[in-house]
Amino acid sequence: MKNHPDRRHKWYVLGFYLLLFAVWQLVFSLELAPDYLFPSPLQVARRLTELALDGMLWPSIKTTLSRMAIGFTIAAGIGLLIGLLMGVSRIVNGCLKSLFLGFQSLPTAAWMPISLLLFGLSDHGIYFVIIMSSVAAIAISTSDGIHRIPPLYLRAARTLGTPAYAMPVRVILPAALPGIVTGIKLGWTLGWHGAVSAELIKSSVGLGYLLYMGRELNDAAQVLGIMMLTILFGLLLDRFLFGLIEQRIRRRWGLAGES
Amino acid sequence: MDPHPPDAAAPEASPAPVKLEFSEVAKSFEHDSQTVAALRPVSLRVHAGEFVVLFGPSGCGKSTLLNLVAGFETPTSGTITLDGKAIDGPGNDRLMMFQEHALFPWLNVIDNVMYGLRWEPGFRFRPHARRRKALELLHLVHLDEFAKSSIHELSGGMRQRVALARALAPDPKVLLIDEPFPALDALVRAKLYIELQDILVRTHKTIMSVTHDPREAACLGDRVVIFTGRPGRIRSEVRVDLPRPRDINSPEVAEHAGRINAQLEAANEEPSGSEA
Ligand SMILES: Nc1ncnc2c1ncn2[C@@H]1O[C@H](COP(=O)(O)OP(=O)(O)OP(=O)(O)O)[C@@H](O)[C@H]1O
Ligand SMILES: [Mg+2]
Repeated sequence: MKNHPDRRHKWYVLGFYLLLFAVWQLVFSLELAPDYLFPSPLQVARRLTELALDGMLWPSIKTTLSRMAIGFTIAAGIGLLIGLLMGVSRIVNGCLKSLFLGFQSLPTAAWMPISLLLFGLSDHGIYFVIIMSSVAAIAISTSDGIHRIPPLYLRAARTLGTPAYAMPVRVILPAALPGIVTGIKLGWTLGWHGAVSAELIKSSVGLGYLLYMGRELNDAAQVLGIMMLTILFGLLLDRFLFGLIEQRIRRRWGLAGES
Repeated sequence: MDPHPPDAAAPEASPAPVKLEFSEVAKSFEHDSQTVAALRPVSLRVHAGEFVVLFGPSGCGKSTLLNLVAGFETPTSGTITLDGKAIDGPGNDRLMMFQEHALFPWLNVIDNVMYGLRWEPGFRFRPHARRRKALELLHLVHLDEFAKSSIHELSGGMRQRVALARALAPDPKVLLIDEPFPALDALVRAKLYIELQDILVRTHKTIMSVTHDPREAACLGDRVVIFTGRPGRIRSEVRVDLPRPRDINSPEVAEHAGRINAQLEAANEEPSGSEA
């Protein structure tokens, strides 16, 4: 009952996507371009089904996701640790902040050449790209989150007798959690870019590889289909996993509950 | 919670030992290479079990004085001693309740109350003992059913009660309360004051609190210390020898509040920068 306006909002979104597909189909039926260059939504769906039936699709998705799971876990660990150091030490922050902002301005694909040089065509290179793409965002958001901790929490912690060694785990990291989740979310998106870009060049399995193969075979339906899947998985995890966690934390921390 | 018989509490019967002693304590802050005086030299004695209320115009240094006792700041000159020992940094023998509640949102109610016990000698590595103590305190502030709630689910008055329970948990010798009950509706406040006094009578804490409200001062304090405008200096004191628990709406409290207010107005009329 209470969610009524919210639910109606969802219908609008659904309507928007239906409209998008309808326009796509309409443009297709105008026959402005040959259909091997500009396929219809139906052709894309058919190609994806074929790939799935050939047993190409699911292993690819699984591979990309599991590469992300491993690479991103490592990136999050490193990013959190560096972010914590940046958060508590002005000197570390001064040194690393500009470096990491610089990293963030680098397109993820720009990590590819160095990855090829360092790791050749092995899988390690893909992890390298994922980590390098996401670690800076996580570290910067973590340190920003720590710098934005209301001083009141730190004073409360001290008056309650928290020893210095216990501060990071008991107070600083939890108090910075809203900033940290934002960083994790952003880092996931950047890491996802990195993973798919890396697979374009280095892999023989994965979503990026299917994209690359589609181009090699002049198969626009496959390219569009895999692009859509990449968007879908990126979006699903961003909105529905990290997004929901972020929202819950912001509500609990008494921060504005905008969605 | 029926009121005690009028003469049950005998506040001045035997002189209690001195708990906190301020001698010529002054504080100034450096601001853009300018020195801003926040507190002119203040001397004050607070006895064990006494409730002293600091009262004065905004910016006169009341919070600053509490921060000095809590150990967040160090005096520019003068000394503060607790049980004869100079204060050196924050510690949970002098717990501070802040202007805002400052509860940790990442912990639920009972974990907030237990928080300060984790490093207490009797409670280290004894989570069950911590929990038991926290439950007792939640019972004291009438929040038993809310042990598992998260902070954002509580009302403002409930949050302040949790903050009180959390502050009482490590059994501090001194409780510092900085305007703890702002913006609560009159009914909740009246009830909270009765509860607070009830708890204080039972736990025998030494308390320094800050307020802007003369009625609150008269309702809670054994002594109300009135400050001049900033930089503050102690102007006068009003003793409140009413039996506890006092009802904030009683005529006796109102009468004392009137006297406190008159003192404040007199303080305001004096030129504040009069000191050479
Ligand atoms: N950290 C600080 N740095 C610089 N100046 C400060 C600092 N803390 C307090 N002051 C100054 O010291 C003076 C006293 O401040 P304080 O907070 O103690 O006042 P207060 O009596 O608690 O006021 P209120 O009733 O409004 O809370 C003010 O003029 C304030 O600007
Ligand atoms: Mg204040």
